[in-house]
Amino acid sequence: MESTTPVPINMSSASNKTIRWSNFWIKKWLGEQFFEEFLGDLEEIHQVRAVEKGILHANMMYLLDSIHLIIGFTSFNFKTNNNNTMVFSNMLKIAWRHALRQKQFTFLNIAGLTLGITSFILIAVYIHHESNYDVHYANKERIFRINQPDIWGDWDAISSTTGPNVATAIKEDIPDFEEVTRILTMGSRIIKTTGSEQNFDAFKENEFYAVEENFLEVFNFDLLQGDPATMFQKPLSLVLTATAAKKYFGYNDAIGQTLDVKYYDGSFRTFTVTGILADLPSQTHFNISLLTPLSSYQESMDMHGWKWIWTAFSTYGLVKEGTNIADLEEKLQKLPPKWAPPTTEKIFNQSFEEFTKGHNWTLYLQPLKDIYLSEAPSGHNFGPTANPVFVNILGLIATLILLLSSINFMNLTTAKSSKRAKEVGVRKVLGSKRSTIIYQFIFESILYTFCSTLLSLVLVQVLIAPFNVLTEKQLVLFSFLSNPLIVLALIGFVIVLGVVGGSYPALYLSSFQPIKIIKGKIASQFRGKVIRNTLVIFQFTISIALIVCSMVVDQQLKYTAQLDVGFAKDNILQIHNIEQFGFDTEQVKTKLSENISFTHIGKSFGLPPNIWSGDRYKSEGPEQTVVQLKNVRTEPDYLDLLGLEFIVGNNFNPDNKADHYKVIINESASKILGFGNSKSFNKDSPIGKRIQIASGTEDLFEVIGVVKDFNLNNLKQAIDPLIILHQNNDKVWDYGGGLSFYSMRLDPKVIQNKGDLATLLDNIKADLKSIDPAIPFEYSFMDEAFDAAFQEEQRTGKLLRIFTIIAIMIACLGLYGLSTFTAEQRLKEMSIRKVLGAKISQLTYLFGAEFAKLVGAAIVLAAPLAYFGAVYWLSDFAYKTPLGAGTFVIAGVAALGIAMVTIAVQAIKTARNNPVQSLKDE
Amino acid sequence: MKNKGLGEFEELILLAVCILKDTAYGVSVKNEVEKHSGRSVMLGAVHITLYRLQDKGYLSSELGGSSSKRGDRRKRLFKITAAGMAQLKASQEVRQKMWSQLPQFQ
Repeated sequence: MESTTPVPINMSSASNKTIRWSNFWIKKWLGEQFFEEFLGDLEEIHQVRAVEKGILHANMMYLLDSIHLIIGFTSFNFKTNNNNTMVFSNMLKIAWRHALRQKQFTFLNIAGLTLGITSFILIAVYIHHESNYDVHYANKERIFRINQPDIWGDWDAISSTTGPNVATAIKEDIPDFEEVTRILTMGSRIIKTTGSEQNFDAFKENEFYAVEENFLEVFNFDLLQGDPATMFQKPLSLVLTATAAKKYFGYNDAIGQTLDVKYYDGSFRTFTVTGILADLPSQTHFNISLLTPLSSYQESMDMHGWKWIWTAFSTYGLVKEGTNIADLEEKLQKLPPKWAPPTTEKIFNQSFEEFTKGHNWTLYLQPLKDIYLSEAPSGHNFGPTANPVFVNILGLIATLILLLSSINFMNLTTAKSSKRAKEVGVRKVLGSKRSTIIYQFIFESILYTFCSTLLSLVLVQVLIAPFNVLTEKQLVLFSFLSNPLIVLALIGFVIVLGVVGGSYPALYLSSFQPIKIIKGKIASQFRGKVIRNTLVIFQFTISIALIVCSMVVDQQLKYTAQLDVGFAKDNILQIHNIEQFGFDTEQVKTKLSENISFTHIGKSFGLPPNIWSGDRYKSEGPEQTVVQLKNVRTEPDYLDLLGLEFIVGNNFNPDNKADHYKVIINESASKILGFGNSKSFNKDSPIGKRIQIASGTEDLFEVIGVVKDFNLNNLKQAIDPLIILHQNNDKVWDYGGGLSFYSMRLDPKVIQNKGDLATLLDNIKADLKSIDPAIPFEYSFMDEAFDAAFQEEQRTGKLLRIFTIIAIMIACLGLYGLSTFTAEQRLKEMSIRKVLGAKISQLTYLFGAEFAKLVGAAIVLAAPLAYFGAVYWLSDFAYKTPLGAGTFVIAGVAALGIAMVTIAVQAIKTARNNPVQSLKDE
Repeated sequence: MKNKGLGEFEELILLAVCILKDTAYGVSVKNEVEKHSGRSVMLGAVHITLYRLQDKGYLSSELGGSSSKRGDRRKRLFKITAAGMAQLKASQEVRQKMWSQLPQFQ
């Protein structure tokens, strides 16, 4: 019967893939002594099964049986096993015993590593969050923003906005775009629900934008209500986010409801809600609440849509699939010379070349995903941006800290393992293979990294809340870990650090002849020392460099805080939204002046440190070069309020109407216009010289005063040349964004505490509301605005300080561990010295000197590193704190001090040791 | 003294080895147990138990002959030791004793 059945016999079995594969793994995992019988049994039973139930079933069972055998015989440790086959449970047992026997080392090792990994993961979560903005759009790979040079100032700087005609030109000339869409920034608008008249708090809406009909085709935001095809079709439609709808109406379902939006002429226009967007994801550079179609502003678009200088539009393009971006960017460059000349000629009476002054009017394509985290352009019209420098600094710190703690781990593992030389010797004598010993060391090492990483994840979960406060983010650990690549990287890290950390002792110790180890020859010739010392130097180098850098950041912040900005910036209260009262606001001023709490009051159309608008000017006469000046429009009182110092000339005369068309400039402007500087003024006074706007108009403005330079922008920037216009100068069309402010210099004698201030603010609010209740009351303080510019640096400083402390802690943990190790090794030497007459102080010195040398070397190495780091960071600032040697000395002494305190315990213990105790065995 | 009691499966295996006399090896023990107990048994379970019983000193083993059916691999033949026999008998006695204590069963 059997012989007639077509049974797969030996030959075919051997060529069976499943069987070969199973056999391979059995051979890999099980001891040689098992192959013979197991493979035989498997083969035999396979044949029977193949006959009875078919080859497929037999194969499956073969595989199953193999797995069963492998698992069974690796998890139980049978005596019949060869001694060399270390099984998991046994390795674990030995590792556990060692961990317990050297509790201190175990603690130092795990603590140091956990600290490092925790810091690293925290920062990694942050960086991961920051670098994953705008990734949720369906066409994210194909969306680009079109940027251009900052044509109003520095042509080398990149601006995120263009004129409206750029999109028109692209649609006309370049077929590679599937869609081009523009977003017009509406500035802040007063908005109220239709029908509410008196006694309401109007909303000041800053997130109001006009978009094109195809907006949702480029950015596929989730829609809660409304028809995406039609909701941007009619003028005066309005699409709100769910949150905005709640804010205005109290509920989401607002389709068909209306909102009134205030226009610059003071009238309200009614908009009808046609759609509700789901709230935008948090990781997007858009911060939009209300959208209306551009057709709501059709008159403006018809009148100004051809202009290249109405740079209030953010232009985005969706390129066709498979477009070569480099080629496309090249094609774009043909547009400005072709389309911009009408603008330069009609508005400025200049040719395109004259207007650009030889600069290239480049149109850049910026990928959507790069917008949030890019250095240029530094800002845009929507929501948040991040500074890549800050992210890079954090990344560097994280890497350094991880490196420090990894080094620590390797160092301690190496030091600790030298104690185990005897164990290795005994194992070898008992017939252990070298590979078994290597496995054991590496296994233990991986176990440490594994435990530390697990512990770190727990810690991160706990610490992420305070970290979020510090970074002002909503970071979540689990969304970070949901990326399988990151989990893989973590596992990879555990294994790599484990293998690297354990490999030195594993390979080195296992290489000895057992007889030498047992005789005790190895302990004295164990050579990890050079490596360990190098690692200590490295650790302290980084720690010292970090100390210096965080000190420099602190110094810089203190330095800028005490800088003289050219006027007294304290006690200046600024009332916003004055432009809403119309252009003539004398009645507001009269009303406000009734308060006696301030010494000066003055109106301006811009506030330091945020004077950004400017224009192109030149001094009178032919062939004069055109220069870029910042300009600000004020009433004479405002200059008195600031208390600017006049080098020559004086303030506008409020009673002289002729002064409306006169100007005051700062010293920098005088220099750049060719009017000389403060030294030349007594010979050649700039008073009476005239300035002209370089845009084709013939109006000339006479200089009546030159003020000393003062900071019109935050203290990161140098002082720009400035021209101060009289508020009634209607020949210049720049009104600083159309916003105006009343500033008051508070009288510290009257406003003595917070209560006084609150009363004053209440009074002012009541005053303003009595004039027009529909205008929101907003205020600010000038010194706070100056400080606000340094928020990011404050944050950098705080984070740097925290991570510097962590770095030092890690270094100290390592140093402490090493000093313990050294103390044990040098115990006998010290004892003999003591017997021969050395004093405790000498012994302590001897012990300390060894480590002091290492820290000394680290100081020498850290100084240049820290210097370059500090110089790099400071290069962003116009005003730099001087870098003195003092900082370096303090950091060095501090590091040395910390190091000495760390080793002091061991040094004194060793020195005070009773020689009898340690020498009696000899 | 350590508890050297036999598990049920261990007992079955020991008995099978006894029955098979000089031909007890992995596959034959598996077949024997399956034949008597009527349940299907994993080869791995048999091997693990055989080795465990050997560790306890109830079985001894040596490599035996090969056959072409096994791809020319030799089998490991298991034999019961004196200790194994004693243990088997001991557990039999324990049961007998306890059965006899059941008063009016059956």
